[in-house]
Amino acid sequence: MTLMSSSKTPSPPASTLNFSVVLSALVAARVALTLTGLPDVLRDDHQLASPLTSFSQLQEGIYLFNHGVDPYSGGTFRHSPLFLTLFATILPNSPRICSLLWTLCDGLGAWALVQIWRARQNVTSSERDGLIAAVYLFNPYIFLPTLALSTSSLENTLMLILLMFAARGKASPALLGLAFLVHFSLSSIVLLSPILLLLNTDQFSHLASPRPLATSIRKVVPLLGEFVVYFCLLALSSTLVSGGFAWIPQTWGATLMLPDLTPNPGLWWYFFTEIFDHFRPFFLMVFTVHLLIYIVPVCIKFQHDALYATFILLGIVGAFKAYPTLSDPGLFLSMISLFPEIYPYLRHPIVTSLLHLHAFLLLPLFHHLWLNQGTGNANFFYASTLVFACANGAAIIDCLWAGLRIAIGKPVEGYSIVQE
Amino acid sequence: MEAEEANQGPRWKQSISRLRQKFKGGANANVARLRRRKAMISSLTRRLPFFKFALFVVGYIWMLAIPSPRLGRGTYIDENALQPSQVNTYWNWGDVHAADRYLEQLEALRDVNSTSEQRAHFLETEFKKLGLPASTQNYNFSSSAGLITGTNAYALLGSPRGAGTEAMVISASWLSRTGEGDGTLNLRGISTVLALAGFLKRYSLWAKDIVFVISDGYLDGMHAWLSEYHGSTHKNLQSDPVELTSGVIWTALNIDYPGHSFSHLGVFFEGLNGRLPNQDLLNSFQRISRNTGHVPVTVYDHIDPREAPQKVEGLVSNLPKILQDNPEIQAFSYQAKNVARHIGYQARGRASGVHGLFHEYRIDAITIFAIPATGPHGFHAIGRIVESTLRTMNNLLERLHASFFFFILTDHDRFMKIGNYLPSAVLISIAMMIQGLQTWVRAGWKGEDETKLNEKQDGSSGVTPTQQPKRRPVGRALAIMTVAHLVGLVVFTALTQRLFIENIQLLAPIMFILLATIPFIMANTIGDTGPLSLVLKSFNLCLASTVISIITVLNFSLASSLAVFLGIPLSITSSSSSILTRVIKTALYSMLGFGWLLLGHREILSAVHDWEVLQVWFAPFVCLVYVPLALQALTVCVL
Repeated sequence: MTLMSSSKTPSPPASTLNFSVVLSALVAARVALTLTGLPDVLRDDHQLASPLTSFSQLQEGIYLFNHGVDPYSGGTFRHSPLFLTLFATILPNSPRICSLLWTLCDGLGAWALVQIWRARQNVTSSERDGLIAAVYLFNPYIFLPTLALSTSSLENTLMLILLMFAARGKASPALLGLAFLVHFSLSSIVLLSPILLLLNTDQFSHLASPRPLATSIRKVVPLLGEFVVYFCLLALSSTLVSGGFAWIPQTWGATLMLPDLTPNPGLWWYFFTEIFDHFRPFFLMVFTVHLLIYIVPVCIKFQHDALYATFILLGIVGAFKAYPTLSDPGLFLSMISLFPEIYPYLRHPIVTSLLHLHAFLLLPLFHHLWLNQGTGNANFFYASTLVFACANGAAIIDCLWAGLRIAIGKPVEGYSIVQE
Repeated sequence: MEAEEANQGPRWKQSISRLRQKFKGGANANVARLRRRKAMISSLTRRLPFFKFALFVVGYIWMLAIPSPRLGRGTYIDENALQPSQVNTYWNWGDVHAADRYLEQLEALRDVNSTSEQRAHFLETEFKKLGLPASTQNYNFSSSAGLITGTNAYALLGSPRGAGTEAMVISASWLSRTGEGDGTLNLRGISTVLALAGFLKRYSLWAKDIVFVISDGYLDGMHAWLSEYHGSTHKNLQSDPVELTSGVIWTALNIDYPGHSFSHLGVFFEGLNGRLPNQDLLNSFQRISRNTGHVPVTVYDHIDPREAPQKVEGLVSNLPKILQDNPEIQAFSYQAKNVARHIGYQARGRASGVHGLFHEYRIDAITIFAIPATGPHGFHAIGRIVESTLRTMNNLLERLHASFFFFILTDHDRFMKIGNYLPSAVLISIAMMIQGLQTWVRAGWKGEDETKLNEKQDGSSGVTPTQQPKRRPVGRALAIMTVAHLVGLVVFTALTQRLFIENIQLLAPIMFILLATIPFIMANTIGDTGPLSLVLKSFNLCLASTVISIITVLNFSLASSLAVFLGIPLSITSSSSSILTRVIKTALYSMLGFGWLLLGHREILSAVHDWEVLQVWFAPFVCLVYVPLALQALTVCVL
């Protein structure tokens, strides 16, 4: 859907509508959505909130924390201690106000996305601004998890803000944001190297004219050190706040060991419900390493355009991470709007869109047949997650192809491009 | 490798190099690969129309073949715990006498035109006389058609052997399902439930609570009772809480016995929104009825014409004598009647009886319908059958799960598995998808007209979308689709207004005309056509295909109806320059899409009632999915 809407013919020259007006209108429409009955229905939906991001579990953890019970002593609370402290102290705790907060965070994310776009195009404003914000705010993969108050929406906002800083070359805020993000969701560590690369190069589009990495790789070292310092500081403060190291196996450990097999739209849970226990450690290792093997090839291939490398890796993390929600692939799909230069080179955008349409309809349907109606079983939902994975895979492959293909130039009659 | 090959004899070498040439394609492997790919694509594209046609034909023939006695298989019991028809029954003439006494009192109540409260009060008293805790429940529904009120009565038999965490329900509604609740009373069904309450209480073998429910009205009473029992709220339902509650209800039997006596027991099983109960329940009942009660079972109230050869009716009566006597044709026509009835209920999401309300709460339930006849069976047979069925349900250790939830019952003892009927609709949706993708490719070419297209297909260069690419007006097509869906929303909102329901004779034709003009307005505002018509057609086909293939799992009858109504019509939409063809096309597509506004006033009323009272999503589905698809098809034609 995202692909389609953004490839429309160029609209007449700059509309006079101010971007801030458009953004506020969009956010207002989103706020109106939260006032419907939807948030209560969606709150504990497995596709919108995983055990690591569910609002209900966050509230339970806060309740335990406020009543002097270590929330990490049981197996239910898997949020970071930083979320725990924030929501137990400064941030509101009632679902109504949180709905507003979450929606405003989405608005902030959309704003950051537009800032990234402007930084990449090196303009102060453009006519696409409103479209980009709309593609983010009205992507169902983005707004449904927000309505369900999944903390993955907050992670998306954080991701966009840190990318904005990185695109503007502001290293320290970007690295601090990344440290927070990795702290909240360990799988995001995959994004470390393209972001370090981005901080060392520029944010402009060099997809059409690839060149070897201009700067020395050694410049990365101080940045990496800075990131490690931030990350350790966050880990230390988490330990101080929660009064021990019990949070580590419950939060980061969960990403690696997959103790909670609650169904989600990802690929891990079904596999590990079926597997024999003595194979479990091996396949946990395989699934984790699988996420990491993409880093180096993608960074090498897109060394001329680190923002694009980040974008591709975001798609890969969203498709293959341990506890995904719909908002993870949603961020990737919405970010496609940042790269209009690749649209003419997309190979099968309609197939990808149709796959996503099928997955988007099948996921809730099969989930309902299995868990509400009782006429289906786990295989139904698993099958729909496979369709979803195919859709995500198709989107990633298409973007990867288009990002590389653009360098060869416009297609010429009588010539074909072949990959060796 | 090279050295080794060189050492071989010249014939070896030759053949190997030949082989290698074949695979690598001589000097430049990539050129060969490209050629191969192009040849493959062009041969595929050339065969695509045939392939698509074949998919349509196979899909439709498959649909027609569903009632065939050669497809499908016999039913069987899957759950070992059920052990149907393995017990001695104790229901006897004394209990039949009790049922007769209850019937007399109920007939007296009927004759004095008693109100709902009086009846419910009477039933409550009778249950209490038997020593069962009993209560009543008032309810009222407000819908755009008016207010529905009534009073249910129910009683609880606590399990002597269990913790009361599970329950079975035996119910009877005040109105029989004859004519979908046209006013025929179900007095004998209620008498059976009352007599059973007294009878069942005497035995200590129940491991589950038994709840007796006498619901008022046809569907509304049980809907109110079930909603309160499960604590689900509906905004147009006000009802008293259910005071006496038991555990989780696993299974339910609804007894419908409107006539004086009966010859067959008919089984009704379709629930709201096309849900079906587990097939084990149907099969157990069928087996018990035959073996314990010695009563033949049929599907619905369709008595097999082969049992009474002198009365030939329906499809067969128009055929020559020699074909009428063909057993296969007889079987096909009977089973076709059953399948058509099934599709009629399931596609519209309508419950075929009071049992259909239970499915929403994950309770497997059926209605036992005593088909009115002059004999030979009565209270004695039905009592024994219900007793034995309850014993079977009592044996369950977990919810019914083993047998099929997705099936088409072609006869009382024959059915089709999901894998045998589902592909028919899916094949049609695949054909539509292929057509949609083909149209998408066509829309991306500079040369639009067919002759140029054919030249390209025949040419050696084959078909590649990158050749002479053209921008497709995707945004405008999506805008039209959004408008079409918004129109659907407006139609739905209008249908549920009281004003519309009261003046349906006048307002429905007006709405029809408005809907038919909307595509012209859209076409005029957009102006420049270009490939927009093609892009819109492509999107419309892809969306319709997606909807059909996804709905198959939820409600096959609805999906196959959509496949029949939309499959070919959506595939052959095209814009035309001649005014006459345009007018004809507009008329045809308007009738296809919105003809129900002119012809189906009763259907509209019942669909809106079902939505407002029972949350059947057929009405919103038609307005929000079907109407937009038809609108888009119409827009394609007028662009």
